[in-house]
Amino acid sequence: MNDLYQFYTWVEATPYATWIRESGSLWAYPIVLTLHTVGLALLVGFNWAVDLRLLGFASAIPVLSMRKFFKVMWWGFWINAISGVVLLMADATTKMTSWVFGVKMVFIVIAMIVLRRMQVGVFRLPEIGKVIPQNAKVMAAVSLACWVMATTAGRLMAYLGPQVGLIVPVK
Amino acid sequence: MHQIELINKWLETTAVSKAVAGGIPWIWPMCETLHFIGLAILIGCIGVLDLRMLGFAKEISIRAIHQYVPWGVFGFAINAVTGTMFYIGAPGQYVHNIAFQMKLLFLAIAGLNVLYFYLGGVMHKIEALGPGADPPLSAKLVSLTSIVMWLGVAYWGRMLPFVGNAF
Repeated sequence: MNDLYQFYTWVEATPYATWIRESGSLWAYPIVLTLHTVGLALLVGFNWAVDLRLLGFASAIPVLSMRKFFKVMWWGFWINAISGVVLLMADATTKMTSWVFGVKMVFIVIAMIVLRRMQVGVFRLPEIGKVIPQNAKVMAAVSLACWVMATTAGRLMAYLGPQVGLIVPVK
Repeated sequence: MHQIELINKWLETTAVSKAVAGGIPWIWPMCETLHFIGLAILIGCIGVLDLRMLGFAKEISIRAIHQYVPWGVFGFAINAVTGTMFYIGAPGQYVHNIAFQMKLLFLAIAGLNVLYFYLGGVMHKIEALGPGADPPLSAKLVSLTSIVMWLGVAYWGRMLPFVGNAF
């Protein structure tokens, strides 16, 4: 644990992490945070759309044709994986010891496993056009719940658990 | 500007403002959380229509994908309410904040774009387009405007603390 904490301290002190956190450049913390929001909208937002379809809404759309939108979700995922790592580096000692961050990660992992199961399981069934299987509906409900929880935990990182003020005004 | 200052001063005296600004400590974080959930629903459920109009997922008819619009409106409603709560809670940190002013401008353009889509005949032109059909240029321009404006609204929202010290 102590070794790990030393590693987080080291990460935080690297020139890149320091620049992200302290430079006051628009291209540092503010843009990375914006990218993290855009990625959230693509991943969570489009997953909402697919989940709602599986739960029976927008029923005029052939279910199978929604599979195209998984590409958008994966774009969102990678944008957020990368921007998330950068945000984590800038603030490693605080976030890696925050239980709220841990909760957020658990829900993201579950939501991504469900997303993948949905993509390769549900959206490759030939009969999906006619009837939506019960397990697909369960996946959709779990997915929605996990994204709501992940978004909530992500937001609450600014209010619960260990925090550090990271708002450096743009020069 | 003077009028706005007076309204803001009055707002700050209201019970709602005091509650949002910290009188009831969980209200602000809850509104922030809902604001991000609303953002995702809005951009996701309007985004599927925007992408279809740009020629993505062409196997879906316009009329079918348009069924997501009420969900987009739902996301917008969540954000309009929570956004208004933030303003009521701390009007002073927004009114002179350039990021907030830009956010309102982008919101206004997004709104005019919606009006043009429905009242300017664009929706009428494309609503019968079935699977495989490519929408006309006017529809693509509306989609592009929508995507740029909504991402722009998110960008300016994110900039609020960085350029104007809003929390």
